Amino acid sequence: MSSIDNSMHAKSLWSEGFSRLKKNKASMVSLSIIIIVCLIALFARQLAPYSFETQNMDHILAPPGGDYLLGTDSLGRDMLSRIIFGSRMSMAVGIITAILSLIFGALYGAISGWVGGTLDAYMMRFIDILYAIPSLVLLIIVKVIFDSLDLFDNPELKALTGILLALSIVGWVTLARMVRGQVLQIREMVYVEAAQAMGARGWWIVAKHIFPNILGPIIVLLTFQIPSNILYESILSFIGLGLQPPFSSWGVLASDGWRSLRTYPHLIISPSIILSVVILSFNLFGDGLRDAFDPKMKK
Amino acid sequence: MFKLFKDANQRQWIQWVIKFTGWSSFLILISSVVMSFIGYVVSPQLIIANIVFSIAFFITYTFQQHMTVYVIKRVFGAFITLLVIATITFTLLRLLPGGPFDQDKALPPEVIANIEAKYHLDKPVLVQYWHYLSGIAQGDLGDSYKYIGRSVTDIISETLPNTLQLGIYALLICYLFGIPAGVFAASKHNSWADNTIMTIAISGVTLPSFLVAAILILIFSVQLNWLPPALWDGPEYYIMPMLVLGIRPAAIIARLTRASVLEVINSDYIRTARSKGLPERVILFKHVLKNSLIPVLTFSGPLVSGVLTGSFITELIFAVPGMGKHLIQSVTNRDYPLILGLTLLFSAVLVLTNLLVDLLYSFFDPRIKLS
Amino acid sequence: MKLINSLILALLFVVVFSGCTKKQSSEYGLKISETLRVSLDTEPPTLDWMKATDTTSSSIVYNIMEGMVAYNLNDPELSLKPALGLSWSASKDARVWTFKIRKGVQWSDGVELTAQHFIDAWQRLLTPKTASEYAYFMYGIKNAKAFNEGKIKDPKKLGLKINGAGDLIVTLEQPMSFFPYLLSHTSTFPARLDIINKFGDNWTDPKNIVTLGAFKLKIWDHDKAMVLERSPNYYGTPTKTKYVLGYIINEKSTVLNLFDAGKIDAIKDLPAIDLPHLRKKPEYHSHGILGIYYLGYNVKRAPFDNLKVRKAISMAIDRQEITKMLNAGHVPIKGWIPVGMFGFEKKLGVDFNIKTANRLLDEAGFKDRSKFPTIFYGFNTNENHQRIAENVQAQLKRNLNITVEIKNEEWKVYLSTLKSKPPHIFRLGWLADFPDPDNFLNMLTSTSDNNHTGWVNPEFDRQIINAAQTVDKKERKRLYKKAQKIIVETDLPVLPVYSMVEHLLVSKRVKNYPMNPMSNFIWKDVELVK
Repeated sequence: MSSIDNSMHAKSLWSEGFSRLKKNKASMVSLSIIIIVCLIALFARQLAPYSFETQNMDHILAPPGGDYLLGTDSLGRDMLSRIIFGSRMSMAVGIITAILSLIFGALYGAISGWVGGTLDAYMMRFIDILYAIPSLVLLIIVKVIFDSLDLFDNPELKALTGILLALSIVGWVTLARMVRGQVLQIREMVYVEAAQAMGARGWWIVAKHIFPNILGPIIVLLTFQIPSNILYESILSFIGLGLQPPFSSWGVLASDGWRSLRTYPHLIISPSIILSVVILSFNLFGDGLRDAFDPKMKK
Repeated sequence: MFKLFKDANQRQWIQWVIKFTGWSSFLILISSVVMSFIGYVVSPQLIIANIVFSIAFFITYTFQQHMTVYVIKRVFGAFITLLVIATITFTLLRLLPGGPFDQDKALPPEVIANIEAKYHLDKPVLVQYWHYLSGIAQGDLGDSYKYIGRSVTDIISETLPNTLQLGIYALLICYLFGIPAGVFAASKHNSWADNTIMTIAISGVTLPSFLVAAILILIFSVQLNWLPPALWDGPEYYIMPMLVLGIRPAAIIARLTRASVLEVINSDYIRTARSKGLPERVILFKHVLKNSLIPVLTFSGPLVSGVLTGSFITELIFAVPGMGKHLIQSVTNRDYPLILGLTLLFSAVLVLTNLLVDLLYSFFDPRIKLS
Repeated sequence: MKLINSLILALLFVVVFSGCTKKQSSEYGLKISETLRVSLDTEPPTLDWMKATDTTSSSIVYNIMEGMVAYNLNDPELSLKPALGLSWSASKDARVWTFKIRKGVQWSDGVELTAQHFIDAWQRLLTPKTASEYAYFMYGIKNAKAFNEGKIKDPKKLGLKINGAGDLIVTLEQPMSFFPYLLSHTSTFPARLDIINKFGDNWTDPKNIVTLGAFKLKIWDHDKAMVLERSPNYYGTPTKTKYVLGYIINEKSTVLNLFDAGKIDAIKDLPAIDLPHLRKKPEYHSHGILGIYYLGYNVKRAPFDNLKVRKAISMAIDRQEITKMLNAGHVPIKGWIPVGMFGFEKKLGVDFNIKTANRLLDEAGFKDRSKFPTIFYGFNTNENHQRIAENVQAQLKRNLNITVEIKNEEWKVYLSTLKSKPPHIFRLGWLADFPDPDNFLNMLTSTSDNNHTGWVNPEFDRQIINAAQTVDKKERKRLYKKAQKIIVETDLPVLPVYSMVEHLLVSKRVKNYPMNPMSNFIWKDVELVK
């Protein structure tokens, strides 16, 4: 918030922030892990030794080692390949959901905060109401409805739609609240008033002055939204409402593996390690970002 | 008239009632939690007595603080919120494909007609909606479609106590471990202890709860054979579920506490206190703690309802006879009245805890006045 | 002031302590040595046996109640043996049935059983206001359907009577040779209307319920557990174990954990993925059950309206490969009746033959396979169905070079899809309600609500009605063979895949655990040893 005071020097603030971020070892390591995982997700087809759906009846539940580095699952599918393709789905869930909820949340919050008055009151009232609905019920109902609609032809997208929309519908509320708060604060700032006095239009002010100033907090919030989306997806998978098969995410793999925890531990170990490492990375990176761009935390 | 109230507010006995009701409800709550944990059944009378105490506390307190109008407004708003939620959920449920009585062995249309007539599903949706709302107004949440002969109220009253029990244990864990850990870490800022605690805390939020459960079960019941792997029968059965449910919020609380303690430590008035030469311990407990717990308190509203609604995985894995699993199953069964009832209940809990937290907020930080 | 404070504090603690009572010991204080501990998959939706439809509820009902007849579980073809009905006989055309009721059978409140209790139960089952899902089970009785639809208001018009000797006389709408089999089903058990009217919806609470089975309901701790206790009023030999404790546990792996920790004595429906591992345990058992897994074809949707296409697809799917892949001991079948049931035919149906399949598809006008449209295969979300779907998809690609798109849906969504617009191929299963071929074949008649294929064949319908009216067993077998031939060889609206097998773990301290093709877990003969 105090970044606002220095908003005239936004640029120098950013570079200062980056240099602080660079010094934070944990964040930089996390960032590189995140980048690597993103690359793996993008180039899954080239990297994976096998296809994620090819079944091999002769190698059912093979232990790790040999031809299959991480073993095979109950259909003889290579776990490593499934994890690699799973990163595609998990990252998609994490990132696309965050972006979807950002777009909607930011728009909603910005309008609400900028227009203010009665509209703001009503819009916030609606948010309060959404907030009070248990998210699990909303998630399940929305997911089932969207899954039954068949909106896309692309099989990957088809598998994802329900879960993406469900998570976004639950997730945008937080973002909308935050953006509104920021917009409200900045609206009162001297330079915005000055711009207004000089006849600048509302949307212009929002785009030019407000958006750059709330970008920092939004990015921080997004880095925390992504891992929580991934986590939520895994919980939904656990109750049997995850991705549509044959696609799998880390969450699907981990919850499938959970059920054979005692008999075939290799099915749960590798997906849960990667799941927790990535979530940890996002959290550490988010912490670093916040520390770097929120000067209050400066020591 | 107003003057009369104003005078009354300052009277000794009001102060005394507030103190008495507040402390006793708090103490009864804590001691009954402990008693239930070690295997005693807390009688309903005691619970009711405690609820009366806390209501008395909040009423006298709001009265004394001139917040009566505010609270009435909030309560009224809460009813509106619940009404809108009932409407939203009702609509969503009708959009949900698949009906409550579809099953693998299809029923003849004659039988379906009888069932629909029984549950008024043959009437237009608006009539059903009206029927449902007027039911709620009379405190009747309807009958479950799946559990024939059991009303939604029955199901809630039978399962809610277990969910509450589990939730309260988890919350205790979360405050008992989270706050001290956070304070300790902050007081040793940037030391190895700080780093270790924060690493543990951050790991606590990275694992999905079913994996935490898996690890605990593997260690404590499969390998060491110390704790039973599931069921809900006594203290030894409570430990793993409450850990699984409490570990994540505890981690969040620890991080939150640490951040806010750090902020307070660096504030001007603590510096003043230090420069006055007050002992570090006094500063930490008397000044820092009290002020830094306010953000933690703010977070408690969402936390309480999060723990309650988030208990479904824990309940599923450890076979806890709670309400959480009904939340999922009622949707898969398309048990409309049960889904609606549970949704309304959870929403009411959230709205209520938020109101209570807001009130407590002004209690702990008298600078804040609500209106 | 301090003194007052501490006094109040002390008072509070006294209040709290006196407000707490010592809890019952764990496992409801039952002695483990005389308690069989099992797991129930869900909270039983109801114990009102005229309304219960699910397996968990009926497994409890089978233990606290009995019907007119019971299965002879030692007989591989599951013939009937007397239970509450001592003997029965039919008129020549199998339209009028007379049941002699066993004398001296007492309900748990001491009242003696009469034929009227059966009539009361069936009238209640058929009353529209009861809204029982299994009401159609008794549609065979004269005027029953019209009564259930509300077209006939007077229950006296139902074909139910008691003669002077106290026997129950049932008149049916149509002749039905297998009628007694229906009376082994929980929905047809007798009931005490006086109790039901007295307590209303709460009549199934442990303190209200009146039963006549080997066990009686002692505790029903909702969502947690159920306790059955040996009933002193039971007319037969008393149960060997005194109590049955059924824990309600939804998650299978939790049950497995509890079994390993020695807290549960028996588990059924073992998770498929653990089977290879669990098979090695000495506690492992398996047995065939009367259920089939099948694929249905939507014959109204092109190209499946073409018989040659259906035949080609049926011949291009190797059932052996599916069961081998599942590795759960299921038996591939070509006929429509599960292995071990009366009417089972080994030599029926189409064989796996890639060559003929390809030829048939060519003949059907799809010599150019690229002209063959993408076909849709639907199933409900479940790991097992998923695996089968993926396997069928792979087989059809490999054997016929055609593309199958598989689509899973959440269970209830899937059911509504089957009702409104079924995909080309859909998967379903059928578990026997009673062990007679009619239960399996009737579902494919044109009037059945379970026939999602859109296929209609009057000849087949006639065969089924004909067989139902035939009393002679040999003749019935021949008729059912003919009927089966129509569906699995001539018209092919469906493709049977396998006959099911059930897997259990039973603790070593348990002897005589019930394992039978109907999967009826009747615990009265279970013995516990040291």
